[in-house]
Amino acid sequence: MGKKRLTMRRKESIYGYIFVLPWIIGFLAFTAGPLVFSFAASFTNYNITSQMDFVGGDNYQGLFTEDSLFWTSLWNTLYFVAFSVPLTTIGAIFLSALLNQDIPGIRFFRTLYYLPAVLSGVGVYMLWMQLLDPGTGMVNLVLSWFGIDGPNWLFDPDWTKPSLIFMKLWSVGGSMLLYLASMQGVSKNLYEAAEIDGANTWRKFFHITIPMITPVIFFDVVTSLIGGFQIFQEAYVMSNNGEGGPANSLLFYNLYMWKQAFTNFNMGYAMAMSWILFVIVFFLTVINLKLAPRWVHYEGEEK
Amino acid sequence: MNKTRSFILVLAALVLFLSGCAGFQTSSNNEEANKEENPEGKTVIDFWTFWGSEIRRPIIEKIIADFNESQDEIEVKHTYLPFGDVWTKELAAIAAGDPPDVVINDINATALRGQKEQAMNLSQFLEQDDISNRFYPELWDATLYEGESYGIPFNTDTRVLFYNKDAFEEAGLDPENPPTTWAELEEYAAKLDKKSDNGYDRIGFYPLWGVGYDVWLLNANGQNYFDEQNNFQIDTAKNEDVLNWLKSFKDHYGEDVINSYQAQIDSQQGHPFFSGDLAMIVQQPTFYTQIRDYAQDLNFGVVELPEYEEGNGHTSWGGGFVAEIPAGAKNPEASWEFIKYLTDVEAQTYWAVQNFDNVANIEAAETAAESTEFTEDGTMVYQKAVENMEHTLLTPVPVIAPDFSSLINPNMDEFFLGSMTAKEALEKSQKDVESLIEKNQ
Repeated sequence: MGKKRLTMRRKESIYGYIFVLPWIIGFLAFTAGPLVFSFAASFTNYNITSQMDFVGGDNYQGLFTEDSLFWTSLWNTLYFVAFSVPLTTIGAIFLSALLNQDIPGIRFFRTLYYLPAVLSGVGVYMLWMQLLDPGTGMVNLVLSWFGIDGPNWLFDPDWTKPSLIFMKLWSVGGSMLLYLASMQGVSKNLYEAAEIDGANTWRKFFHITIPMITPVIFFDVVTSLIGGFQIFQEAYVMSNNGEGGPANSLLFYNLYMWKQAFTNFNMGYAMAMSWILFVIVFFLTVINLKLAPRWVHYEGEEK
Repeated sequence: MNKTRSFILVLAALVLFLSGCAGFQTSSNNEEANKEENPEGKTVIDFWTFWGSEIRRPIIEKIIADFNESQDEIEVKHTYLPFGDVWTKELAAIAAGDPPDVVINDINATALRGQKEQAMNLSQFLEQDDISNRFYPELWDATLYEGESYGIPFNTDTRVLFYNKDAFEEAGLDPENPPTTWAELEEYAAKLDKKSDNGYDRIGFYPLWGVGYDVWLLNANGQNYFDEQNNFQIDTAKNEDVLNWLKSFKDHYGEDVINSYQAQIDSQQGHPFFSGDLAMIVQQPTFYTQIRDYAQDLNFGVVELPEYEEGNGHTSWGGGFVAEIPAGAKNPEASWEFIKYLTDVEAQTYWAVQNFDNVANIEAAETAAESTEFTEDGTMVYQKAVENMEHTLLTPVPVIAPDFSSLINPNMDEFFLGSMTAKEALEKSQKDVESLIEKNQ
């Protein structure tokens, strides 16, 4: 029997699999096992060393009905995500629109605004703790020049989460770069045609630029939504003893999960928490994907 | 097509081969580590600490070197891990079945680690070799879970009141008679305040710098929130009084003054106590080393914490660290020998003197207090630190509710921010912790 020549399509899909093979191997070898294990162990009282007895849905039930800190941490995280995701997205689009001009010295400004994205981690948090210091920090000093009596930022439970969101806005440079790249890819013909039709700058921005960059907006919203739910370091570093800030206002979901796992050694309980978070994020991402065709515009898409 | 298929096969084989290599490599490494004998036939044990600073590292490594030279059976290797990592790494290593041999860990959670079988039960060694009476009883008791020890106390600390003698003199107070009760503390603080046009040139005292509200509650009650039967008690009239007393200082000085001083303390660039802008502060005795290094000319004294009212007791608060053998360690006998050395007089005295740190071994602490290596001020502070151990209580975490404080602290934050009264904060804490205990039972 002669071997049948592979069709172009099949060939392509084989190449595709080869390209994703490293990820699949990594997933099967390192991620899949722990994933399955954590799901199974979330129905036990696993504490890493001495016990692992099946307790049914007790962990889940306890979280929903008896644990007030669970709800606090979920609320804190939702609050953070609800504000930080739209604000950083709008901020990044706004900034990249400004930096997408053809004026002398623009490269300097692009570098300047991108710089915070290069810095990362604990160093930045330390810096912001000093900047946001109510008595001696730069932020309140600048506010005082305008006659504003600045808030107590990280010491006032009403201001701790806004402080972090504020800090996040400072480092939108990373996603700004994506928007900038995609804005530069927008064909000049479209703008020229619009100009002939008499469109002003705003109309061009809202009717050409924004629709053309929707794939990047979509990508940014999905990834920053997922990243937002995973906020941990900021609260761990920027609150006293990593406890979650004044009046638990920075007790984010992952911080509470970490405390359950590694200071109380309730590993099974923490695993149940991680699965609840997984379901929430999964659900939101599915909604995102379902809504995407309504507003995301892919060029060259087959209709 | 043949080409494509063979390409995939080769790729798959390569991947398998490479991952196989990695697998073999790690397991052969493990085997080597498991042999735990060096070429000279000595047992090698791995000792994990978080002491990596320029000051502490040479001291602990000298102690290890002394131990290694003192006998020819065991060789200790020191592994430094950052404070933020060391215990999560230890836990992972225990779970993986290849733990280190000795680890320095938090004394207050020793019983919890005993209950969870993370640390080895040491009673098998203590039966032959009872060293419990080397240590302060308060420290020893903190290592017990159901009456059996899971870690040997290494070092500890306490809280004392530092006061500026020159400021006392200036305010017309006797520098040799520091406050002994809360009423005196408040009275002296007011006398030591020095107002200026836009705020304060000097603050007498603010109770929540250096320590938290919990230390004052401990000081007033002379006992922990939990009694021996695990009954939790925080909602009392006395505690309400304590909280309101603490808050009266905040109201007295005003939020802005407190915040700007707090910022100065946090920034670690000029402590107000060093500059004479703050007359009294509660601190650990090791605070002295900063005075020694940054404010040599400061004329200061040190005294035990004032008592709630006369005869109530000068209860103070301390913590510390233990040396423990993780569950599943391969050479517990060797580990035990090393721990005995580590907590014996010689090593403990060396640690105490070089670090200016409170140690768990009573004889070592007392020897260190007489050390000629300290200056006059150093000796004064160290002696007070050692004396203060009799007033010092630890707050071991109750195994029934290890995270209870995360239910109290937010309420106390609300109280100090003014959105709850003391009574409300205490009632809510009482209720929340009781339901946590119930949930965990």
